[in-house]
Amino acid sequence: MPANPDYKDPELLVAHLKNRDKAAIAYLYDHYSAAINGIILRIVKNESIAEEVLQDAFLKFWNKIDTYDSKKGRLFTWMMNISRNLAIDKLRSREIKNDLRTDEVENTVYNVNAENHSHQQIDDIGVGKLLDTLREEEKLVVDMIYFKGYTHTELAEEKNIPLGTVKTRLRMALMNLRNYLGNEE
Amino acid sequence: MNVEEYIASGILEAYVLQELSENEMQEVERMISKYPELSIEINKIEQTLEDVAMNTAVAPANHMRGHVLDQIKGKGEAQQKTVVPLTSDVPPNRRLGVFKYLTAASVILAIVSSYLAYNYHQEWKNTTLELNKLIVQNERIAQNSYNANQKIENLEKDLRIVNDPSFKNVPLAGTENAPGSSAKVYWKANTKELYLSVFHMNDLPEDKQYQLWAIIDGQPVDAGVFDSNLERMAQMKSIGPGAAAFAVTIEPKGGSISPSLETMQVIGNV
Repeated sequence: MPANPDYKDPELLVAHLKNRDKAAIAYLYDHYSAAINGIILRIVKNESIAEEVLQDAFLKFWNKIDTYDSKKGRLFTWMMNISRNLAIDKLRSREIKNDLRTDEVENTVYNVNAENHSHQQIDDIGVGKLLDTLREEEKLVVDMIYFKGYTHTELAEEKNIPLGTVKTRLRMALMNLRNYLGNEE
Repeated sequence: MNVEEYIASGILEAYVLQELSENEMQEVERMISKYPELSIEINKIEQTLEDVAMNTAVAPANHMRGHVLDQIKGKGEAQQKTVVPLTSDVPPNRRLGVFKYLTAASVILAIVSSYLAYNYHQEWKNTTLELNKLIVQNERIAQNSYNANQKIENLEKDLRIVNDPSFKNVPLAGTENAPGSSAKVYWKANTKELYLSVFHMNDLPEDKQYQLWAIIDGQPVDAGVFDSNLERMAQMKSIGPGAAAFAVTIEPKGGSISPSLETMQVIGNV
């Protein structure tokens, strides 16, 4: 069945979602699940955990669509922030569990990652050559904040960079990515 | 800070990624409403993040589509599932038949009403939010109007005294100690009512207060203390007939039994 042409218009898509139109969420899945999944997977670093989070994320898009306000930003940004938060929460809750049960084999997934958290070894799934266009210090902030879900403050503390610098570097990095992706008017 | 500097600080990126505290978010939102060009910049940031995500997408396993969509209940689906058991075959029985229809009817009624209840619940939630906003607004307006009324009432009261011809109006002029000071008392001897209004008097240290005296038969009589920041007309102690003058001195907080005449600030004859 071809998708309802309404869905191409973000406003109408949201209206359909708010009106509990299940085909609209299917459309959302078909268009954005890969992008969302990429975001989640790069944070949690484990496919089966990422699947849980992806499922939670879409359920949340569906259940919380009434809280989305198009005046405050794009639908994708809203979905992205929900997904990032779910993924980060999941990671943290597992971290806590693993601290309690250190004998568990599973903890290698995150702990190894946390210990070797340096940008020299970006193992980012799906990122490809995108970050190659950036300078080293910009790569670091994009990788840690956008792809790995660190907060600005955590990054500032861990890498001993002033918070203001973290903010301006992320901005420079996104501007460069914007140019690279041909998105500057 | 100009708009370019504000954008360059990277705060908008942090805003889009929800990295800001509640206060900082409100500050950004205030800036956005003031400078519409910020919205354009935010939209660009959002577009970039979306493009990055699209460029770094990783398709989930094929079975995930079913998993994800199956857990989502669309419009009307919840009802259908509940209705199904009704079609299970009960042995044909006339009497039971009536009950069957009644049961079916009541179940349908229950379903329809729960669906309506759900819809109403959604609407009610939105309405409650709007209502809460209005209540807060309303309270603020009520508070303002109360304050304004309170002020008007006070002014009216003061004005009645000022305009009342039965009040004797005694200007008190600054002495050598305080040539710039000036005040007025309004005194009605037969009812012993005494009011004081200050135009200007110097600020006093914390431990001092002004004290008003009535001079009766050459003797100072305490007419009450007041602070240097007196804003509106103040009712003082009752003073009966016989006062020939009024004066104000500076005394320790709480007042003295007899005036420290060398500190006299203002004085005026009746």
